[in-house]
Amino acid sequence: MTNTDGIGARLRDLMVAAQAGDRTAYSSVLSEIAPIVRRLVRRRFGFLSGEDIEDALQEVLLSVHNARATYDGARPFLPWLMALAHNRSVDAVRRIARRSGREVAVAEYPETFDPADTNPEDDTYGDPEALRAAVAELPKGQRVAIEMLKFREMSLKEAAGASGMSIAALKVAAHRATKALRVALTGRDDRGN
Amino acid sequence: METDALIQKLTDDARPVRPLARPWLRALLWLAISAPPVFLVVWWHGLQGKAGMAATADLRMTIEWLAILATAITAAIAAFSSSVPGASRRWLWVPLVPLAIWLLTVGQGCVEDYQAMGAAAFALRPDSECYVPTVLAGIIPIAAILTMLRRGAPLVPRTTLALAGLAVAAVVNLAMLLFHVGDISFMVLIWHVGVVAVFAGLAGWAGPRLLAWRNAPLAA
Repeated sequence: MTNTDGIGARLRDLMVAAQAGDRTAYSSVLSEIAPIVRRLVRRRFGFLSGEDIEDALQEVLLSVHNARATYDGARPFLPWLMALAHNRSVDAVRRIARRSGREVAVAEYPETFDPADTNPEDDTYGDPEALRAAVAELPKGQRVAIEMLKFREMSLKEAAGASGMSIAALKVAAHRATKALRVALTGRDDRGN
Repeated sequence: METDALIQKLTDDARPVRPLARPWLRALLWLAISAPPVFLVVWWHGLQGKAGMAATADLRMTIEWLAILATAITAAIAAFSSSVPGASRRWLWVPLVPLAIWLLTVGQGCVEDYQAMGAAAFALRPDSECYVPTVLAGIIPIAAILTMLRRGAPLVPRTTLALAGLAVAAVVNLAMLLFHVGDISFMVLIWHVGVVAVFAGLAGWAGPRLLAWRNAPLAA
């Protein structure tokens, strides 16, 4: 008996047990066929990256899972597996090729704005204590709006439900609170005065 | 997802499965399910009035009838076989033999009709009374073969469904012919053989839609 015959016979027995519901046998089948299929995909589609080979392998494993009822224990296992693996790996590679065609590989995404404008030196988080104190000084409606919309990042709808204020009132209160905080923290309004 | 994690997931999902029977057994099962309703529908629609059961004694008709039956069985076996990974692909060509015999017998009928009737042998008229029973008769065989094929692996879905379409159309034809032997062969050629070809072609075209793999691609 050759080595391949031995592996085939062993996998056949395991697969028959797996079909009967033996999960340990099934786990062994999948674990043992994974390197076989990986080699097959690598040999046939040498141009694929390691990630794409794993992608194709996983597609084959899923198909083995879904088609396991088509295996007839009276027949050899490896031809069954190879037919399935050839068929599904071709489909997987087609899909990978289509996906690659829609993607453009870039080392670094281009910046859309001048870095000097988008990274001002004075753009710091500021003083959290001063912010907290300034928020505490706001009228109640503005304070609630700022806390819910900015600090707790609630949506307008959620904040309206929680505060009992209308969405329009929340928007106005948040806008006014932002202006008041800017003046309180920087001494300037949004026009720079 | 890591491959090891997928293996674990598939193992957790693994329930016992009943291995599919051999393709020829499944083909016979399909025929046993399909043939009685087909014959019942055709008979129910009163086409037995034209009956030519006795005419099956005619040798050419008998050969034609047997060729259609063989086409149905071999096409069904080939369809089931094509959805089993690793099964011999030689089966896919076998239905061509009875199909060729069927076409030859119809062709011979056309020649005989021409010799007996002249140009009238090629008169073509719409056979509207056949439409409803044909469609009704096809419902159960189509549903049965689709349900059975979906348990297999859709390796070559176009071929599989074209063969299934051929099998269904042949069974329906078998029943129609049994009650319709009075027709001239040219009518049979156009309406029966033509419909078989169109139906098998349409089925093949719809193959990838009706017999898709149910596992969604992982990295779609």
